[in-house]
Amino acid sequence: MNEFSHLIQFFFSGLTTGSVYALMAVSLVIVYKVSLLICFAQGEFFVIGALTMVTLTSKGLPMPAAFVLSIILSTAVGALVERVLIRRIRDMSVGNLIVMTIAISLALRGLALLIWGKESAVSPPFTPGKPIHVLGATLQPQVLWIIGVTILVLFLIWFFFEKTKAGIAMRACAENRLGASLMGISTQKVALFAWAWGSGIGALAGMVVAPLLFIQYGSGVMPMVKGFIAMSIGGLESIAGAVITGFLLGLVESYTIGLISSQFSDTIVFTILLFVLVFKPSGLFGASRSREV
Amino acid sequence: MRHIQRYWWLLVLALIALYPPTLGGMSPYRSGVLIFVGIYVILAVSLDLLMGLAGLISVGHAAFFAIGAYASGILTAKYGTSPLFALLMGMLLSGGVAWAVGRPVLALKEYYLAMATLALNEIIVTLIIGLQWLTGGASGLRDIPAFSLLGFPFDNPIHYYYVVWAIVFLVVLASLGVARSPFGRTLIAIHSDETAAKTFGIDCARYKGRVYILSALYASVAGSLFAHYMGFLAPDDFSVLTSINILVMLFLGGIGTIYGPALGAIFLKLLPEFTYQFQDYELLLNGIILIVVLVFMPKGLFGILMSLKDRLIGTRAT
Repeated sequence: MNEFSHLIQFFFSGLTTGSVYALMAVSLVIVYKVSLLICFAQGEFFVIGALTMVTLTSKGLPMPAAFVLSIILSTAVGALVERVLIRRIRDMSVGNLIVMTIAISLALRGLALLIWGKESAVSPPFTPGKPIHVLGATLQPQVLWIIGVTILVLFLIWFFFEKTKAGIAMRACAENRLGASLMGISTQKVALFAWAWGSGIGALAGMVVAPLLFIQYGSGVMPMVKGFIAMSIGGLESIAGAVITGFLLGLVESYTIGLISSQFSDTIVFTILLFVLVFKPSGLFGASRSREV
Repeated sequence: MRHIQRYWWLLVLALIALYPPTLGGMSPYRSGVLIFVGIYVILAVSLDLLMGLAGLISVGHAAFFAIGAYASGILTAKYGTSPLFALLMGMLLSGGVAWAVGRPVLALKEYYLAMATLALNEIIVTLIIGLQWLTGGASGLRDIPAFSLLGFPFDNPIHYYYVVWAIVFLVVLASLGVARSPFGRTLIAIHSDETAAKTFGIDCARYKGRVYILSALYASVAGSLFAHYMGFLAPDDFSVLTSINILVMLFLGGIGTIYGPALGAIFLKLLPEFTYQFQDYELLLNGIILIVVLVFMPKGLFGILMSLKDRLIGTRAT
């Protein structure tokens, strides 16, 4: 392998992790836009999605069926959480909201521990096949699936929010909850929808990487934290910002690991986050909105 | 009755002093459990100064816990300094970091502040993992000696128990003092309405910075005590999950009351001792308890105790 093919290799791995970060960030942004809370339980949906799929395929279910069932299950769990818990605490302070989602994440992680135990599991790839060679770099076929699924999901989100009535209602609700409810939009339904979407996408992020990573009940923390970073740098409320920063984050990480230092790549990434927060709190892609009184 | 209300802290002191020979049964293990509890009481109370009084959210309190622990660990294990000197150096370093990042970070609000403190926690932990030659990296730092004072080593957990709880008592007392001082009142004013506080001529940024440094100093002390008790440090003990745990103690016990977070820490750290047969259920149980407290008892365990006391004695707590 020459220098150039190394760079290509880093690009592929950056794109792979970037897809996961982008999906996690998008799932966080969708929930934030509508419920105005950052969900610390999003990593648990990542785990639930991945491990459900591993279990279903190991029970002999064909991959497409396992895929669909896992998404449905994770979405249902997310909707249930919103319906039973989040709705009760809508008016609490930010500190309480954060701790509530932490409590939910503890409970879900505990549940995952009871169901799946402490062992890590890996799922079979979506399609069998040998690694592909591109410009001297090797590419797992699963990586194509990850990127393909990510693009499809992003397209679906765009279509939903721009072209469907329900999506436009959700945007209205994110813009102005009172105004939206005066126009006859059920804000409760919209919040439920947002949570279902968010948990489904979070689960999807776990499912697409399940063939590449060993995942166990506690594996959701790091993807979630990286999702936080992408979301915060993207400006908390911007889906496009979250996607772009998600991919950028994956690439920056992959190139710093490859070219600079594998030990300090996370230090660098978190330092970038701290600097962006301090110097441009509205994010690199968010509209700057002054909150001073 | 009035005497009990006035001198109840003497009762607490007696309970702490009598624990090892009575309930503790002079067992090093049982005193050890209480050492952990004490360390977490310090952490929870120090975070309460920041979050409960000043309303500044932190999802990264373990950063200062880590700095204190590693300062003590490295200085005593590798350079052979006295534990007291190492503890003070840890405090100096923690205070310095808090001072340096305080002003820009504390200007942030709500989620932005939460994310920034989380980032700080991760920066410290990844640095600890990365600087392997100094900290032992991911495989940990070994051979930290027991705490000693003027040449007298506290290598018996029962003796160390008294050191830790003496400090816990001082920290709680000092924090109560802070909460009732003009400084604490100012913080509460900033918490409830920063704009109003500003119009009264309060330099909000300076007060926030000071309470941040104070809570970092306490957390650093907790870290030093932890390092000498464990004798071994690994970066995992200081991750965001630890910060989240401290946060949970605050809300479980009743945020903003000093006593509450202390109770929360005691409860959450003692719970595993009673549920150890159901270890796999512990996470789920923690989550459910916290959900129930948040939804039905927003004032936490301390709130429940207070209303119980009101019912028994028939006086209003002030």
